[in-house]
Amino acid sequence: MSARQSARPRRIDDALSQLVDSLTPPLSHADLRGEYEGDAEEALAAAEERRHQKYLERSWHILNSYTSPSNDLASPSGSIAYGVNRRGSLAGGENVNNAVDLIKRKLLRENDSPEQAVRFSNLYSRLLTQPVLSQKWAILFLLYRLSSTDDYEEPGIEESVSRSPQFEPAGLNNMMYKGQRMNPGRSRVMEFSDEDGPAVSSSASQIPARAERQAALRRQQEINAEREPEPEPETSAPAARAREARTTRSRANTGVREPPPEEPKPVQSEQDSEQEQKPNVPLEEGLLRDLPFNLQGLSSSNLQFASTTILNLPPSLPVPIISLLNCLAEPCLLYRGISAFVGSTTSGLLSQSLQAALSNELRSYLGLIATLEGEIRRALASPPDANDLRSATKTGVTLKRCVVWTRDATMALRLMNLIVEEAQHKKGGQLISLIHGFSTSHGDPFVGAFAEKLLSHVTQPFYDMLRSWIYDGELSDPYKEFFVVEPESRPNIDPRRTATSVWDDKYQLDDEMVPSIITQDFAKKIFLIGKSLNFIRYGCGDSGWVEDYSKEASKELHYGDTAGLEASIDEAYKTTMARLIHLMDDKFKLFDHLRALKSYMLLGQGDFIALLMESLASNLDRPANSQYRHTLTAQLEHAIRASNAQYDSPDVLRRLDARMLEYSHGESGWDCFTLEYKVDAPVDVVITPYALTQYLKVFNFLWRIKRVEFALGSTWRRCMTGARGVLGSVDDKVGSDWKKARCVIAEMIHFVCQLQFYILFEVIEAGWDKLQASISKPGCTLDDLIEAHNEYLKSITRKGLLSSSKSSSSSSTSSSQEEDFLNQLHYILKIMLAYKDAVDGLYSFSVAEFTRRQELSAKIETRTAQGRWGLTDDDILPSSARLTRAHKDSVSSNMSPSLAAYTPNLGGDEIGSPVSLANPGDLSADDQMLASLQGRLRDLSAEFRTRLNVFLGDLAYQSNVDMRFLGVVMNFNDVYQPIRKRRSAAGGSSRDKQRARRRAAAANDGATAATEGSSTVSASKEQPARREKKPSSTGGNGNDSSSAN
Amino acid sequence: MPPSSQADDKRQAAREVIDILHEISTLLNTHLDRTELSLCVSLIENGVNPEALAAVIKDLRKETGAASRGLAEQAQQYE
Repeated sequence: MSARQSARPRRIDDALSQLVDSLTPPLSHADLRGEYEGDAEEALAAAEERRHQKYLERSWHILNSYTSPSNDLASPSGSIAYGVNRRGSLAGGENVNNAVDLIKRKLLRENDSPEQAVRFSNLYSRLLTQPVLSQKWAILFLLYRLSSTDDYEEPGIEESVSRSPQFEPAGLNNMMYKGQRMNPGRSRVMEFSDEDGPAVSSSASQIPARAERQAALRRQQEINAEREPEPEPETSAPAARAREARTTRSRANTGVREPPPEEPKPVQSEQDSEQEQKPNVPLEEGLLRDLPFNLQGLSSSNLQFASTTILNLPPSLPVPIISLLNCLAEPCLLYRGISAFVGSTTSGLLSQSLQAALSNELRSYLGLIATLEGEIRRALASPPDANDLRSATKTGVTLKRCVVWTRDATMALRLMNLIVEEAQHKKGGQLISLIHGFSTSHGDPFVGAFAEKLLSHVTQPFYDMLRSWIYDGELSDPYKEFFVVEPESRPNIDPRRTATSVWDDKYQLDDEMVPSIITQDFAKKIFLIGKSLNFIRYGCGDSGWVEDYSKEASKELHYGDTAGLEASIDEAYKTTMARLIHLMDDKFKLFDHLRALKSYMLLGQGDFIALLMESLASNLDRPANSQYRHTLTAQLEHAIRASNAQYDSPDVLRRLDARMLEYSHGESGWDCFTLEYKVDAPVDVVITPYALTQYLKVFNFLWRIKRVEFALGSTWRRCMTGARGVLGSVDDKVGSDWKKARCVIAEMIHFVCQLQFYILFEVIEAGWDKLQASISKPGCTLDDLIEAHNEYLKSITRKGLLSSSKSSSSSSTSSSQEEDFLNQLHYILKIMLAYKDAVDGLYSFSVAEFTRRQELSAKIETRTAQGRWGLTDDDILPSSARLTRAHKDSVSSNMSPSLAAYTPNLGGDEIGSPVSLANPGDLSADDQMLASLQGRLRDLSAEFRTRLNVFLGDLAYQSNVDMRFLGVVMNFNDVYQPIRKRRSAAGGSSRDKQRARRRAAAANDGATAATEGSSTVSASKEQPARREKKPSSTGGNGNDSSSAN
Repeated sequence: MPPSSQADDKRQAAREVIDILHEISTLLNTHLDRTELSLCVSLIENGVNPEALAAVIKDLRKETGAASRGLAEQAQQYE
């Protein structure tokens, strides 16, 4: 134990003496010149020995001075006078790394590249693996210490002439300050520098914490120094430099050149020098240091954000700097605003993508700030020229330069801010339009390019939506940003779309939201594509095709590729439209349905309609409430089977149905009967329920005309056949009546035929032709189809006199006009039917007359055969009843069935009224009946003419050429005098008066002037007149009421 | 011979350590040569305070530098 104790000092001694030897250069003879000339060798050795001893002693002294006060290896505090005592905790293990760190930092600090530090790290790791050394840290520490001598050694060697021993510890102390940066007066700054000094390019995330620390530091210093807030060094390197600069300057000022820079600066003197330097520190430097933080929207001691839009500038600055700061404040504030927007939560994919794009831009802005910060740091860190207040100017960074450097960024920020402000209340397409507006219509190419850049990011979600829309037909738009919207509540205002139409109402085009990168036409196209796809999928149940299509055609869409986009959309448009039309045609037989509607509902299939009417006629003559659906459908079936309709496809015939409309009391079956054509799911997009009611309307009108034609035709036939037989024999009595009746009926038939011809050929066929042309066009879409069909229906109803669509006239007159045409026609048709009934009455009267004469002549014949007088006086009066009854059976046997229907009445009437027959005025009763019939016929024909004149007058002033032509055709030889009604001024009463006068004139034109009849008619209106007439006529012969109405 | 080879190993290791340390010292510009370095290592391994040792070395360097300089000046004066 003791041996080892003694051994150790001895080994130390040996090693130390060797070290001293190696450190001291050998003395030369020149050193000892002139002292010991003789035994130079000896003297040299002696001197060396002396010197060796001296150094050794000194070394021992130093060593002891470290070790003796305490055994703690790590505590070097002992003899060192001041400043180091706080370093007492430089102990043991923790310093292993401490020394390494110190070396690393030193290397980093003193060299431009980290290469050396890296090399050192490698070496150190290798050293750690070596088991030989036990005091690795100590050696490293020693090396570290020795290394720092380098800086001082040179000037020290050059400058120092002599040094007092007591100065040494202080020198050492200074060395330690230099090395470890442990100055009590500046400890904070130093610590900070040790931590962050090398981290020049600190990341943004550290900035706030750092700024906080700086703020704390500044505060501390302010408190310590009790000075006005001045920009303080934030970074160690500049701080140290500045301090060095200051110390040199102070030394220069005091004229003390001697103390070398590494000399200890006592805290007191340091502070003194700082105080002395304070006013000279350029203010701009501090502002520059703060600038990077201000530019990121953070407050600094000089520039504080009062609110999001206000930045307070320190009031005590010179005007030029204030103006510069004003320039610089703009990006600061803008950045704050934009980053607030970027951080906020917005709903809407496009807003989010806008945020993302903006944050991208902000990132590049931050990049700019980072380089700016680097520049500022380097400028502040570079050794400034002593005494030069504007040193920053030379090193390259000034506030002014910062303004210039941030100019572009400020422009970008300004634009972004503008966008942010305007984007507040916009969404979806409007947002894109907004940015697109900047990119296309702004004069500044910078702004244009910037907006363009933004646009490519912002539009991405839009194009995703577009893609799913035009390729899948799906609307994936959770925030309602697309220009196709799915209306939540379907507006049911339009009566034409009472039923929900998948095609029209499921999606709607929102013009507001169409972004300006897409034209309106294009948007419509896109809308139609998606709608069609959606319709194919859901309406037509063909989702398989849609999926295949989307798989093969779908591709990514991007902003900027306008030509490609257009091409792909055109492609998609063509494909989907073709597919849709194909489906409509092939799968759903739309065109077949249209054709069927035309041939059945619009009476295109003549043989079918004729057969149906013939078979239904007897049935429909009965009142409406005695009509049964099964009989109707049976007759319909019969008509189908017997006509060419049987060759139509069963699918079409299946849809054809006969039914009764809602009827009111007193209507006959004719009024209520209707055909119906049923249309189901996807086809009803084209043939809408509204269109079906239009068809029904047209059918009912045509059916009525047809029925009148039918009735007139049967009457005409009867009187033609009758003229050869029955009527010819009574020519002397009713011949003139029949002649007139034939004229009027011919007129009526002419009218009806012209009307029917007009409607069927001029209107329906022409419309159908147009429809065919438009739907067989190559690029036809479903919308075109719907449009064409609507147009077709409109032209039919308008030109078919069912409704008027005079756009020039106001709605009230047009509606009255509409009422006029339809009502006029209905009235004319009613008159015709009434006239037909009257003619039937005349016919039966004629037949009765004929029978009587026949009987009479037969009697005369038999009497002549018996050899008596053919005609006696008593024959004429009392026996007539008996004779008539006797003849009845023979007449009924060879009479037509319709006539047979009247005869029982005739007979019954005579039986029921024996008194009247016994009446001597029997013949006069007959004459009375004839007179009333004549009056009735005359009235009705006059009424018909008047009505027709009015109708023709209206027609002549129609805007439509075809309708005017109808008027011309009906009045081709100017038989009628069309009357132009005065629409506005003339009230109902004056019109009636006019009409009455005209009718009176017409009646006067008649051959026989039955004054009392015409006066009644002209005095009262038509309807009462007819009603008034009725009892008298039924009293005469009740047959005419049976078929009336 | 195991002991000798052991000693060889040890020397080898020591040389390696000195190599490393020398490199570090050149990195740090300490102006120490290999012998001085190994002497310092041995001193420190024997428990000498590194700070004190650093002070000693610096002191010695200064002294010798001053001495040589002083002699040089003296020589100039003589001339």
